[in-house]
Amino acid sequence: MKRFDKGYIYSSLLSDLFGSLVVVFIFLKDFFLDDESNPEDIIAAIPFFVVAFIVIYLCFIAYRILYYKTSGYELTENEIKCNRGVLFRKRSVLEYKKVHAINKKQNIFHRIFGIAVLTVDSGSTNTSHQAEITIIEKEKNVDALLNELNELKEGGVRNAESKQPKDELLLSDEDSLYRFTSGKKMLYTLINIASTAFFTALFAVLTIIVLGICKLMVQQSFLGTWGQYFLYAFLITVGAMLLFSIFSLIGCLIHSFVGYYKFKITRRGNDIQISYGLLEKHTNTFSYDRIKAVKITQGVVQRMLGFASIRLEVIGYLNNTGDDNKNADLGVLVPFCKYDEIGEILGKVLPDYVPDKKQTNAVSYFSFISWFALILGIILGVVLLQATIPMLIFNVSYTVIKTVAFAVAGAGATILVVKAVSAALGYQNNGIAINNGKITAYYGGFTKNVTVFMARNLIAAENVTTPLRKKRGITSLVMHLKTNALSNEVKVHIQNGVLSEELEKLLVL
Amino acid sequence: MELRKLDKSVLKLWYIRAAIVSLVLVGVFTSTAVILNATGASSNVTLSVLLGVGIPVALLLAITLIMPALCYKMYAWGYDDKRIIVKKGVIFKRRVVIPVCQIQDLHRTQGPLMMMLKLSGVTISTAGSNFDISTLTTEEADRMIDELESNLETRIEELKNEEI
Repeated sequence: MKRFDKGYIYSSLLSDLFGSLVVVFIFLKDFFLDDESNPEDIIAAIPFFVVAFIVIYLCFIAYRILYYKTSGYELTENEIKCNRGVLFRKRSVLEYKKVHAINKKQNIFHRIFGIAVLTVDSGSTNTSHQAEITIIEKEKNVDALLNELNELKEGGVRNAESKQPKDELLLSDEDSLYRFTSGKKMLYTLINIASTAFFTALFAVLTIIVLGICKLMVQQSFLGTWGQYFLYAFLITVGAMLLFSIFSLIGCLIHSFVGYYKFKITRRGNDIQISYGLLEKHTNTFSYDRIKAVKITQGVVQRMLGFASIRLEVIGYLNNTGDDNKNADLGVLVPFCKYDEIGEILGKVLPDYVPDKKQTNAVSYFSFISWFALILGIILGVVLLQATIPMLIFNVSYTVIKTVAFAVAGAGATILVVKAVSAALGYQNNGIAINNGKITAYYGGFTKNVTVFMARNLIAAENVTTPLRKKRGITSLVMHLKTNALSNEVKVHIQNGVLSEELEKLLVL
Repeated sequence: MELRKLDKSVLKLWYIRAAIVSLVLVGVFTSTAVILNATGASSNVTLSVLLGVGIPVALLLAITLIMPALCYKMYAWGYDDKRIIVKKGVIFKRRVVIPVCQIQDLHRTQGPLMMMLKLSGVTISTAGSNFDISTLTTEEADRMIDELESNLETRIEELKNEEI
């Protein structure tokens, strides 16, 4: 079994050192930099901290060396084997023909030592939280392995000639089917910020309206001490949200320009390769036929300006967070594009997944809001009772009781208005198209989603209705897809009841 | 396909669970009253707090005690050699159709109460979602798992032959 490259030890130790220094700075800065700290105490404490730091760092060194000694990989005739772990040893064996996705990742510490991490995933939902195989090797070897594994997953058997890694560049930059230009990145950032700003403004306007109505109804020039407290609390909340917007601007800029640096999509034969990243470079490769669904998303602001993002459902291709951990987020295909361009982009990259036009629409607006309004009414009624009865017991003035009652009613009305807008958008969005074994589902309220998938990936069909809706032939459809456990439900609301039967016919029984 | 109702002992299990939840709710209300009494709170404060706690407790208690009977009435399940169908829900009625050929694993689970009443829960794992068949008698659950396993093997063979 071949061991990982030694660069793993050096890059991990450098990363550990960096992390440790950051932690030390955060926790000890007050002690060392505080004006009130006694210099003698600081001098006395330094040897203790240094010894503690060295002991902890020695533990890291021991762990990294042990991990290096106990880990390795091997490419046999039919399968790839991998051993890893120190305390909890893991041995994984994966047949070439079962390889689902191959991802290459390189963070800044890996790049310093010229290594890269290759993860190979079988697409099993049982191990969907981590890849089956992890290989840490010199970058050129990882590229060669990536190339070799791509060929092996098609053929399934490793020949003697293919045992030597090939020093070959997989694809050139010019092959990219989509370009995420600086202009698009800037626009993408601004739109993300605009979404936060939009909701901040909406929140501010609605609260001002509620406050205004309360003041007007009670016919008081001031809301009293409690009213002023409420106003201050509201202003602080708006301030906090604006601060959050500024931080998200910075985060979003870094994410767009650094995270999506040199973003490119390439296609060779049956394989799709998506690569991006400056500090952490990702190269994800998977077969076209492993794609389970394509999801197009438009937030409120994106929708108003006619932009969208496209994501992919491929088991094993997700936005990685750790060495081999994966969160439940979908894999990105196109971070940002014009909504009108989607057909053209998908036509080039994934021609089978171009969304069809809606064949059905939501059949009733009232159904989108009726249950929400009823439950909201009950909750508000209980809150109102709980607020007013104690005030009556304590003989609180009628004006105050009226103010509280109007405030509760105002808050309820505000929530209802927001829900009514969301329901109107939902009424406009929801629909479905079924065409030659391809299903295009349109759903969502403020955020518009379009999911395109093949009927063969539909693993269960569910319909949800109420007695009244059943009488009127209305149902909501829940489609369960063959994909990652946390993102496998597509819900299309308030459709004609006949559709649920049509959907059941599409199931492979 | 004819759908079956759940066994009567399932209703018994659900009512035992509802009784435990009800006891907790009544406990919350009683302990609030005892604490108020012990601290010598004025009658106005006691009344306000008890109303504040009592209204939600009374609502939750009513829901807890009514739901088992309604859920039991609405629940129906069945399977044949090609599909499994589950119908459930009191206000929002759900009907789920799961093809037998999509089954990955079948799991039978039992808690202490279920063991006492000889009941079991069945979870059907597919390549995406997991589906629960609420609670069956252990005998029914075992029979279902055996039959579904055999149906699954037959269906996979049939589908392979169809592809050829």
